[in-house]
Amino acid sequence: MVTKSDTDSVQVEIVPSRFLTPETAQRLLNEIYKNGGIRRIMIHGPNMPRTVPYGPGKGMPIEENKDRLLEIGGQAIELKVTVGRIRLELEREEYIGSLKAACERALPFSFQFRRGKFFHDRMTTSDYAKYGKVEDERILGLIDPKAKKDKMAVLSEERVTFEEEEER
Amino acid sequence: MAYTPQFYPGSTSVGINRRKHMSGNVDKLRDIPEADVVAAMGHRAPGADYGSTHPPLKEMGEPDCPIRQIVAPTPGAAAGDRVRYSQFTDSYYFAPAIPYWRSYWGAINAKGCDPGTLSGRQIIEARERDIEKYTKTIMDSEMFDPALCGMRGCTVHGHSLRLQENGMMFDMLARTEMGKDGNVYQVKSQVGIPLDKKSSLGKPMSESEAKKRTTIFRFDGIPVGGKVGARKNDEAVDALHHMWELRSKWGYRPE
Repeated sequence: MVTKSDTDSVQVEIVPSRFLTPETAQRLLNEIYKNGGIRRIMIHGPNMPRTVPYGPGKGMPIEENKDRLLEIGGQAIELKVTVGRIRLELEREEYIGSLKAACERALPFSFQFRRGKFFHDRMTTSDYAKYGKVEDERILGLIDPKAKKDKMAVLSEERVTFEEEEER
Repeated sequence: MAYTPQFYPGSTSVGINRRKHMSGNVDKLRDIPEADVVAAMGHRAPGADYGSTHPPLKEMGEPDCPIRQIVAPTPGAAAGDRVRYSQFTDSYYFAPAIPYWRSYWGAINAKGCDPGTLSGRQIIEARERDIEKYTKTIMDSEMFDPALCGMRGCTVHGHSLRLQENGMMFDMLARTEMGKDGNVYQVKSQVGIPLDKKSSLGKPMSESEAKKRTTIFRFDGIPVGGKVGARKNDEAVDALHHMWELRSKWGYRPE
C-alpha cells in the first residue's frame, strides 16, 4: 500500500467561543487570506435558511438571513451559515504562528486553535457515488455528502477554495 | 401533619433556585404587556375572541360527578377554549430555567396544564386563556431571560450552541433581536411569522446575574456536588444517589 505523505501541509482548526457576525467573519477571513499559504479552507456552522423551514410559517422569507455578502480578497461570497468553526489546510508549518496572530487581531474574544487532521484525503464510497472521480483532490474532505453541490464556492483559480457546510 | 415541602435538596445557589422555581415563589423582573405575549405566541390576534372547542361548561350541563364538584375548572376550561401551547428553549450557557424546571413549575403551580419536557425545549399546553396567563407569568419572572431563553414553536434548536457575539442565543429564524438601546425585541411570533409591531422584552441579564439565577449545574459554574474539593458532597448528590439506589434496586418502592 502506498501511503501519501502529508508532511508538507498542515491542518488547523479555529473555533471561536462565540458565533461570528458577518462583519467579524469578514475581518477574520480577510486576515486569514492575507496571511497566505492556504491550500483549502472550510467554514462551518449552523445553517441560515432563507425561508422558514417548518411549522405554520413554512415558506415565509427570513429577511435577516438574506444578502449576507462577505468581501474576501476582493471577491464577494454569499454567507449561508453562521460562522462557528474554520478549518484550514496550510501549505507549510511556518504559516501557523502568523495565522494565530491573525486570529488574535480579528477576534474580540477567545478562541481555540488546534492543529490536527481535519480533512480526509482519500475518496470515500459516498464521495465516489456522488461525484465519481474528481480531478482536483483538494475538494475531498470539504464536501458533506448530504449537502448540495452549490454549497461549495471556488473563489480563486489559484489556491483558495471556500466551502460551506451545514451543521448536522 | 403540616409540613413545608422541600421540593429540592441542597444548599448550592442552583439548588436554592430550583426550589424557587418549583415552589412558584419566583421574582418578578419585568412586566411585558399581555398583548405582546399573545402576539408572540401567535395563536390569536391580541383582542380577538377566543376560539372554542365546546360550549361553556355552565351551558353544557355536566354529569353528576364528585370530582367535578370538588375541582373548580380553570377560566379557560369553563369557557370551553381551544388547547394551545407555548414552547421555550433555554441556552445551556446559564439560562435561568431549564426544560425540567419549567415543567416542574407548570406541573406544580399552573392548574390544568400539560407540560412536556424534551432535551432542549419545553412545551406547556393548556386552554388558551390559561396558557396566555401562564406564559406571561413565565416571561415576567426570573424563569426567563430575553437573551438566553426564547419562545420557539418550531426550529427550536439553539440551546446547545455557542452564543452569538452580542450574547444572544442563536436563532436561525431571528425571532428576537438586540436593539441599539440594549433591549431585546420580539420581532416574530414563536413560529417565525413577523409581528405587526415589535415588542420589548427588556434588557438581558448580565453574565454574573445569569450565573446567580441559573438552575443549571455546570463545571464552570456551580457543580452538582457543590464546592469543588470539599470533603462532603452537597445534599443534592446524596439525595440523587439515594433515589437512584431505591429506584434501581427496588423499582422505587421506598418501604
